[in-house]
Amino acid sequence: MIELHRVSKVFSVGPVKVPALSDVSFKIDKGEFAVLCGPSGAGKTTLLRLLYRDEVPSGGRINVADYNVSALPRGRVPELRRAMGIVFQDVKLLRGRTVYENIAFVLRVLGTPRAEITPRAFAALKAVGLSARAQAYPAQLSQGEAQRVALARAIVKEPALLLADEPTGNLDEGIAAELFELLKDIWSRGTTVLLATHQAALAERLSRRTLVFHGGRLVKDAR
Amino acid sequence: MLGFLCGEALRDLVRAGWIALSSVLLIALSLLTLGGFWMFSTNLGGAVARWREQLRIIVYLKAEPPPAAVDALGGRMRAAGDVALVRYVSKAEALQALKRQLGAQAAVADSLPTNPLPASFELTLAGTASTPAATRALVERLAAMPEVEEVQGGTEWVERLTQFQRLLGLVGLGVGGVLALAAILTVTTATTLVLHARREELDIMRLVGAPEAVIRLPLLLQGIGQGLFGALLALLGLVGAYRLVRPRLEPLVTLTLGLPHTTFLSPAAIGILLVGGVLLGAVGGWLAKGRA
Repeated sequence: MIELHRVSKVFSVGPVKVPALSDVSFKIDKGEFAVLCGPSGAGKTTLLRLLYRDEVPSGGRINVADYNVSALPRGRVPELRRAMGIVFQDVKLLRGRTVYENIAFVLRVLGTPRAEITPRAFAALKAVGLSARAQAYPAQLSQGEAQRVALARAIVKEPALLLADEPTGNLDEGIAAELFELLKDIWSRGTTVLLATHQAALAERLSRRTLVFHGGRLVKDAR
Repeated sequence: MLGFLCGEALRDLVRAGWIALSSVLLIALSLLTLGGFWMFSTNLGGAVARWREQLRIIVYLKAEPPPAAVDALGGRMRAAGDVALVRYVSKAEALQALKRQLGAQAAVADSLPTNPLPASFELTLAGTASTPAATRALVERLAAMPEVEEVQGGTEWVERLTQFQRLLGLVGLGVGGVLALAAILTVTTATTLVLHARREELDIMRLVGAPEAVIRLPLLLQGIGQGLFGALLALLGLVGAYRLVRPRLEPLVTLTLGLPHTTFLSPAAIGILLVGGVLLGAVGGWLAKGRA
């Protein structure tokens, strides 16, 4: 599903070159649940951004599903992103729309037939246990609920791959554990999950393959 | 999908509020100016065309031709260009006409020792010769005839009016053009402001893999919507102004320009104004679209 071969990423800040990833290679199979673990600045977010082609690698090759992401033309980026769901730490919910509208919005912009939108949006909400909050606005949600809505929004298009970038970063431990359980549920239905987190203890509790990053390098791949 | 895109565009228009309203008003103002000048120019053009149809050329002769030669000379003049009608006016007929014009003072003409008025031909032009260039060429050919003393065929004032009509059209285009430019910039600003307000939505759309057309089309539709509203407003303004002014202005126009009645814009002109409005909005939206 995901394959990286000697991937590097260097950001240029004026004349200064800042390496964010160096010589990273690994492979994640279809249907696998993997955790990217490491402290802030380890390169986890940069790696995810390379996977959904928000950034282009400075070197190496990246393959996601059937796409050679490192050489993917701009015009085909939407196609790649339609194959994946993405969850962020800052949830990125649209404040002026209800929970239901936030989820339905994704289906609408992807041209889903009108008759399918409501049942699919509610199925996604049910999967994260938030059917009762469909008409609430993001400002009326707790952080844990908002993150679950973001998760529902990511899975509503039934992606083959789910990328989650620090989804529990702002949550207390109990709620974070609940969210991890939800991710495991989604994975158990066949979705490949790649979770980035700095919470090593939580990651350990998941008992999944863990790729540990430090200073932009992959330092440990524990299965 | 189109319904969703139109809905998004409408939602954005409402969100843009006053700035969108000012773009609509500017588009309306530019088209109102253009339409107003166009209507005035069309009516003036109608008057010019009528005058041109009634145009006469008077060819004064050096000497009165013998009656047997009149038809032949008239025939040569007819052959000089697209002349519809030739009427010979002898010296005696010219004097009679003068006496009729003098009325009570007709006796003055009787006191003249000889008839000083020249014989002449009055030429009515055919429609095809009624353009200023064709008339000028005809006058030159008539003046070159050996029997001809002088040709008077007032084409100059008709030409001047035609030039004035053209100038009017250009002024309308110029003023309308400047306003149109301002309208395009306002539409661009309105759409760009909405774009900033929608930044989060656009980011989400990109992250979930929405096609670029779906992201950008509402911006274009938004511009088109503003253009269409502006054009409709301009037409409404033109119809209102025409209905208000027409009863007061028409008698004056009939008196000065000789037009029996004034005319509103033709359906084609209305169509062009509508399309123009839509295009103005579309250009504004398209310019903003590039910033998405």
